[in-house]
Amino acid sequence: MDRSLRRHLELRLATHLRGPVRQYPDQTEIRIEAGSLVEVLRTLHDDPGLRFEILADLAGVDTGKVMQVVYHLWSERTPDWLRVIVDGLSRDDPRVPSATFLWIGAEWLEREAYDMFGIVFEGNRDLRRILMPADYTSFPLRKDFYLPDDAARSPGAGTRHVERPHAPAVVADDPNAGIRRAPVS
Amino acid sequence: MPTQPTDDEHGQPTEPVSRSAAGVRAGAHARGGQPEAAAEVAPSPSPSPPAPAGMRTGAHARGSQRDIAAPAEPAAPAAPAAPAAATTAPPAPASSGPAASSFGSVQHGHDPEAVRARLAAMPRPSADDPRVLLDRTSDADLFEPIPPYPTRTEREAEFYSLGDGEMFLNVGPQHPATHGVLRLVLKLSGEQVVDVDPVIGYLHRGVEKICENSDYYHVIDQVDPLEYISSLFQEWAAVLTFEKLMDVQVPRRAEYIRVLTSELLRIASHSLYMGFLALDLGGITPILYGFIERDEIVEMLASVTGARMLFNYFRIGGVNGDLNHEFMSRLGDWMSRAAKETEANATLLNENEIFVRRARGVGVLDRETALRMGVTGGNLRASGVAFDVRRAHPYSVYPELQFNVPTRDEGDSLARYLIRVDEVRESIRIIDQCLHNMPDGPIMAKLPRLLRPRPGRAWGAVEGPRGMMGVYAISDGSDQPFRFRIHDPSLLNLETVPLLLPGNLLADTMAIVSSLDPVMGGVDK
Repeated sequence: MDRSLRRHLELRLATHLRGPVRQYPDQTEIRIEAGSLVEVLRTLHDDPGLRFEILADLAGVDTGKVMQVVYHLWSERTPDWLRVIVDGLSRDDPRVPSATFLWIGAEWLEREAYDMFGIVFEGNRDLRRILMPADYTSFPLRKDFYLPDDAARSPGAGTRHVERPHAPAVVADDPNAGIRRAPVS
Repeated sequence: MPTQPTDDEHGQPTEPVSRSAAGVRAGAHARGGQPEAAAEVAPSPSPSPPAPAGMRTGAHARGSQRDIAAPAEPAAPAAPAAPAAATTAPPAPASSGPAASSFGSVQHGHDPEAVRARLAAMPRPSADDPRVLLDRTSDADLFEPIPPYPTRTEREAEFYSLGDGEMFLNVGPQHPATHGVLRLVLKLSGEQVVDVDPVIGYLHRGVEKICENSDYYHVIDQVDPLEYISSLFQEWAAVLTFEKLMDVQVPRRAEYIRVLTSELLRIASHSLYMGFLALDLGGITPILYGFIERDEIVEMLASVTGARMLFNYFRIGGVNGDLNHEFMSRLGDWMSRAAKETEANATLLNENEIFVRRARGVGVLDRETALRMGVTGGNLRASGVAFDVRRAHPYSVYPELQFNVPTRDEGDSLARYLIRVDEVRESIRIIDQCLHNMPDGPIMAKLPRLLRPRPGRAWGAVEGPRGMMGVYAISDGSDQPFRFRIHDPSLLNLETVPLLLPGNLLADTMAIVSSLDPVMGGVDK
């Protein structure tokens, strides 16, 4: 838990932060909105006191209500991992600016988040599916995409905890029930 | 059909470059025994219209079936009445051999309905069925890797437009040198690579979705097959993150066992890496020695974990079983000669002039680009950045252990190889210290049978043989992770391929790819 990092972040990014800087034993977390992402990432990368040079990860998250994009950054100036959560993206049309202007390598990570969640990264010049087939139409890691597995459809569904899905079991006779076909732009 | 008649008909010879792949096959078919088929093609009054984009596509894996069926459809009703249609599917004579008559060929005077029924009843052949070749109007398009849909992105449009004298070459997904099911679409100018479009996802299992639908304990064996060569590291990333999520204190002996087993596995993985790198450069011997080394290590680990590859050994709060006599005796035996043997294996390549000449200065990744690409592990350290998660963000008992983080500045294939050699030496040092400092005590923390961590988020990363392996987990208070994100270093290592290949010769393609050491299980998840 790096207190000085917290002070530094509050100082530099005060106008962009949505909510307090949270700290865990070896992680520091900030929340921002999509509009300020470019500014925030550039500050984190270039500020001489921060110098977050390594993009450790880029992950999409579907909370069920909103979408998030989560960046994990590493800097040699601090012992903490920094987590930047871009919060409050609408589930119908999630749009975030691309991070490829700083990390070219984010291109495939963003393609993966697009593939799995349908999050559109504006400015990514190669935003197409990467793991799923090109003609696939849904976004499998969204929470409204249920696994239509046998356990979830069986009469005993839910009696064993490992078989209980997060959401209600899908209708028995339609294997595709519950899979929301999202429009592809 | 042979290429030649088609060319004459259109009055334009096929350009030499795009023929080079297909031309050989065209000749083969002509010899295959139906030269008279060319004469049967009705000369069309006007040049036949170009086939729609969907039909002209070649061996693109997902589009191929549609493709193969296409020529048969217009042919069926066509036969006597419309001679122009014959150019799309030229009728083969009855005498043209069993292969041609059994697939898609239409004879004059047959009942179109019967033909259609026969076609429908026929099993659809795969793209690599040799009979498919016989029914082509032109085989110039056979290995065109153009996807059967309009280009969707700027980059894709740029890649799939050929410049003057350029051609596409499709490598993989089933190719012995691609290290799994990697498919590379290469754009070549002569023998030089101009551009690459890696196509991945052939091994995609949806592990993240599976993990989000399974118990915290079950996640460990789901993530095992990701990096099947060194599966303990992916287990460790998952276990480490869950321990952060639940504030579990892992006993020191368990931590030492984790370090000991995973460093052994790092050596096994690097031994294979060196062997495969040499194999892709044409040397058979190092892979044999690499497998000897690896086999001793996995047999050793099998005696403590019970499995040779997919160990399922780490647990949240510890490890599954304590070190036993068989493991310790095998390990002691191996350690007595490990340093000497790894040196000997390395000498096999380090002093091999052909290997060094082909690896030096090839596929250079400079420091800035490596950082901007998000490359980690040995590939980043070969470019001069001393980023090793074991030191950069210490976990487990690594702060207590002494080892160096080797770096190099060249950033070429040879540097990436030499970094691995140095890492093997450091790993042997770490194993030695583990054996000397191994504390007594329990190997598991006390945990409930059913884990329901408090709602929260955690990120944990470990240093695998290929780079940083991370896991981001979100708990919603239930017994299954709400979100389980796997970060695999191989994906980003593979992403640098389009940067490194252009300008190199085709022969160096696989040498560069394998020097980056991607494991497709991890790339495709």
